[in-house]
Amino acid sequence: MELIVNSAPVYVATGGKEFDPKLPTVLFLHGSGGDHRTWALQTRWFAYHGFSVLAPDLPGHSLSGGDAFTSIEQSGSWLVEFLEKASVKKAHIVGHSQGFLSALELYKSKPEMCLSICAIGTAAAIPVNQALIDTAKESSAKAAHMMCNWGFGPGAHQGISSVPGMQPIAISRAIMSRNPLAADLQACADYLAGSEIAASIKAPRHCILATADKMTPLRSGKALAEQMGITPTILEGFGHMLPLEAPRQTLAALREFIQTVQNESA
Amino acid sequence: MTNSSYFKPATIALHTGYTPESDHGSRAVPIYQTTSYAFESVQSASSLFNVEQGGHIYSRISNPTVAVLEQRLAALEGGAGAICTASGMSALFATFITLCSAGDHIVSSEQIYGSTATTLRYTLKRFGITTDFIDINDSDALKAAIKPNTKMVFCESISNPGMQVSNLPEISKVANEAGVPVVIDATFATPALNRPLEHGANIVVHSITKWIGGHGAAIGGCIIDGGNFDWGNGRFPEMTEPYAPFHGMKFWEEFGPTAFVMKIRSEAMRDLGAALSPHNAFLILQGVETLELRMQKHVANTLELRDWLSEQKGVTWVRHPNLDAEPHVAEMFPKGAGSMLCFGVTGGREGGAAFINTVSLASHLANVGDSRTLVLHPASTTHSRLTKEAMEAAGIPEDLIRVSVGLEDFADIKADFAKGLKAALRAAG
Repeated sequence: MELIVNSAPVYVATGGKEFDPKLPTVLFLHGSGGDHRTWALQTRWFAYHGFSVLAPDLPGHSLSGGDAFTSIEQSGSWLVEFLEKASVKKAHIVGHSQGFLSALELYKSKPEMCLSICAIGTAAAIPVNQALIDTAKESSAKAAHMMCNWGFGPGAHQGISSVPGMQPIAISRAIMSRNPLAADLQACADYLAGSEIAASIKAPRHCILATADKMTPLRSGKALAEQMGITPTILEGFGHMLPLEAPRQTLAALREFIQTVQNESA
Repeated sequence: MTNSSYFKPATIALHTGYTPESDHGSRAVPIYQTTSYAFESVQSASSLFNVEQGGHIYSRISNPTVAVLEQRLAALEGGAGAICTASGMSALFATFITLCSAGDHIVSSEQIYGSTATTLRYTLKRFGITTDFIDINDSDALKAAIKPNTKMVFCESISNPGMQVSNLPEISKVANEAGVPVVIDATFATPALNRPLEHGANIVVHSITKWIGGHGAAIGGCIIDGGNFDWGNGRFPEMTEPYAPFHGMKFWEEFGPTAFVMKIRSEAMRDLGAALSPHNAFLILQGVETLELRMQKHVANTLELRDWLSEQKGVTWVRHPNLDAEPHVAEMFPKGAGSMLCFGVTGGREGGAAFINTVSLASHLANVGDSRTLVLHPASTTHSRLTKEAMEAAGIPEDLIRVSVGLEDFADIKADFAKGLKAALRAAG
């Protein structure tokens, strides 16, 4: 579906079912250079099992209009307006990498809108090498090439795919190459408020991390989990791009967390 | 390294898409000779049918052995995804009907494989899909041929049997600027010699019966989606509008870079049923593993044969893509432009027949891309019903011998061809 937020059109994937704000909603936030397709193998399950799903292409990305955020802080107020436009008062928030930083800003702005927060393949701070940012300014495609090399774990590098015939590395490269990576990476590099907000979260929260994550190394993810006061789910042998390279395992961990929260709040 | 993998091609060919499986540790890719796959539970079955998760349901749609081959070929070409089919022709047909509906139009190179030309000229026409054939390397002609209802520009990387090398960078520029994808049959090139996606193509099709399988043992085809075309440009409602038979899915929105290949798996594989058998996938995988090594030897033998034939009495002409003549050939084929060549033999139709009847190492048959050297004389076989004039109009002179150069020791190929040429000279009187 399409919403207009800040006067710009926003494409929102809804998991193959019409969005119903009366159902418990799960909001999926993609990472740097990504789009709603990051969540292709998670959103449909939720949409067909009692939830409503919102997986937007953030401004300036893929099928959405507008300009990319120049700071993570900007994304917080945007997400508030986005949820209001979708008539959603509260949602389970799921963020991958940079998407989790945006989730933190949403929580800071309107904690009451967050039924729960789940961090996937991320950390409280995501420092970015200046050379990568400079490369992205010159060419998103070149930066995407570097990021996919680092971002995917050994299985994806060996061409293993949960969907027959597909190459997740090539799919991610194609998407990232067309999106405003430089702005995303700069926003991540500049963001320093994550630890404080993460430590303040009162809503149910969880982390799903991976042992072979080179973009946000496991030790940073574990530090985040400690700040959030939870025991993370750690997926063995996978890299940073968990929703794509370990879709079943990521979905299983997400389902368990969100369904538990939902059952307890019912 | 390709757009899909950070491994080098020789490593991709051996490893991509498979790690030793957990139950038995089979080092070779196992043959999953099965029609179907037991569901873990009702919920799991429901998830598979509802595309909530990836996996296999029925081998007409996908199969684990075939999937390894698909993932390996996608990686070798640098594509986002691939789908294998029962033959090269079914790969082409699936591509045509996925992109075109009644009233749509294709621009094709006039120099293409005869069966493909027949499909475009006759079969698709019966379903309201028309094709204009042009000199594909004439940019002005290409620009002029593209209409509002054109859904693809089609060509072969090295044409069969004319040996024309399509100027892919230029063709892709013109087609993509007009919002039309370039579909290329790269059978004669293989990813070991040229990766068309790196030169601007959007979809690559192979008859993997040929050099990719490489041993003349199994028929198969493959379609590789480059993931580099904007299907949302307004020209492709098949990709952007809800597809009622498959959950009302909008393929471009849902799958983005793999929209095309997912549409093929969801529609054409269901409707055509042209699935590659797992056993054939296994045989072709054996060929893939040595593709790079074999192509080096194929090309080396071809260049030696080209040079030797050029100096022989009894040979009137030799045709092989010339790296020196056209800049785009050298740019696209730095490792050599394949292992097909044609030559003219003294004595016309009779001389050609004498050559074919005399060679013994080279096999006389209607295939190319075997490990063994293959020869064909169209005037006495595939085109024997045509007059001399009709053959010349088709660009196939009576004296043409088509050679698919094999992997034998070149000295033995040379000796065999010398015998054939001597017989042709005798026939010519």
